[in-house]
Amino acid sequence: MEYSSAVQRHFAAPQRARELQLGVPGLLAGEAEDRTLHVWVRFQLQVVEDVVAAAGFQVFGCPHTVAAASVVADWLEGRSVETARNLDVKALCAELEVPVEKLGKLLRIEDAVAACWRTAH
Amino acid sequence: MSEIYLDYAATAPLDPAVAAVMRDCLEHEFGNPSSQHALGRRARALVEAARAVVATRVGAPSERIVFTSGATESNNLALQGVLRRSRGRPVHFVTSRIEHKSVLDVAHALKASGVTVTEVAATAGGYVEPERIVEALTPDTQLVSIMHVNNETGVIQDVQSIGAECRARGVLFHVDAAQSVGKLPLALAAAPIDLCSLTAHKVCGPKGVGALYVAPRVTLVPQLHGGEQERGLRAGTLATHQIVGMGKAYELADPEGEAPRFAALRDRLWQELRAIEGVRQNGDPQRRAAHVLSATFPGVDGESLRFELRDVAVSAGSACAADSPEASHVLTGMGLSDVLAGSSLRFSVGRFTTEGEVVAAAKRVAAAVARLKGLAKSAPTWCSA
Repeated sequence: MEYSSAVQRHFAAPQRARELQLGVPGLLAGEAEDRTLHVWVRFQLQVVEDVVAAAGFQVFGCPHTVAAASVVADWLEGRSVETARNLDVKALCAELEVPVEKLGKLLRIEDAVAACWRTAH
Repeated sequence: MSEIYLDYAATAPLDPAVAAVMRDCLEHEFGNPSSQHALGRRARALVEAARAVVATRVGAPSERIVFTSGATESNNLALQGVLRRSRGRPVHFVTSRIEHKSVLDVAHALKASGVTVTEVAATAGGYVEPERIVEALTPDTQLVSIMHVNNETGVIQDVQSIGAECRARGVLFHVDAAQSVGKLPLALAAAPIDLCSLTAHKVCGPKGVGALYVAPRVTLVPQLHGGEQERGLRAGTLATHQIVGMGKAYELADPEGEAPRFAALRDRLWQELRAIEGVRQNGDPQRRAAHVLSATFPGVDGESLRFELRDVAVSAGSACAADSPEASHVLTGMGLSDVLAGSSLRFSVGRFTTEGEVVAAAKRVAAAVARLKGLAKSAPTWCSA
């Protein structure tokens, strides 16, 4: 398996791979998984005044999945909720050059973020 | 960071002494061993000298050794050479689920040609019980094929007992010894083994050359046509320099001398790795060859682990397909889940491995596992089960 330089960079130093402090108002959390693809993703978003003030994630998966979660978390932080809700992981992660057969794993990241929004009041 | 090579079960570096005889042969002995002139005769003499060395190493008469391009070709010649010779009669073939692909894929191809195939299950320890083989035999069974040392787990199979059961029933027995030459003593002529596949590159010899031991009572249908080389069993100009290299590699191979050192290195590696939480060994430790250690690291994605460890040359316990990780058929055949099979690594040591390397490799593995587990702290249990 070949990995793009962007994948290598994000995999080596994932952005915002962290657990945000629980119990803080405005903290949203969502998970998604696909056992057949061996992928699990958990996202946390700290929303303050309709802005994603902080993003964090945990991930079990291949280097492409780790890198994509890093790209997404990095992008989400600082976005308005309205913009963040329109996340398009595939477009956002184009620089990672993810093989087409792995795109299903990236969709789990989108699902995890979407699950965050479902927990919002 | 310097690269550490712990993948001797995949291939081994060429021994300098092997490279020297091959270079000399390439530069000075270009004759065709089938030619009758002086150059050809010299090349023939080199081939026959190498054949004698290979035969001695495996305890067989020289004339029973057929040179091939490697163990995969040897396996193909053995299986197809026996099972495609029947005309009209039902043909049954017995092997195990944890064989190398060069046996299982041939079996699948033969199945498409009408051969009935039985793949016997292994135990959780990766052992193929001789009783299970006996149970699988039918009056139509013509051949049984079991590898001597499993390439993923290093588990040694009881080829003596299986062979004896086959011989008592008039069934031919093939052994893939690609992983055992140089690690275990072999005495083929005295064993109930009819066909045995050999290779050079696992014992610090060149790639692209191997051999098949063919016992006197065996008749094979050749798979390559176009020449009478190798007693008509394998057409094609003999690759003198490769064969000379194989001969030198087999001359240097020293199971009694090297295996204890390999075992010490493997045990030192495990001593370091066992400190990693949740790590487990695969394969019955009481039946294992000295040079292989298969370990599973639960809670860590295998592809990410191998990428993180790209400076440590080890093999996957599985061949990962990109979209749906295809787990190792050997490890799943021993009862591991797809996820755990994917989270497994095969370490294998050899002639040039040092203790410092195995200790350094273990430290890198521990660091990699710790980092990847840190990325998945709250992962559900299926990720590690």
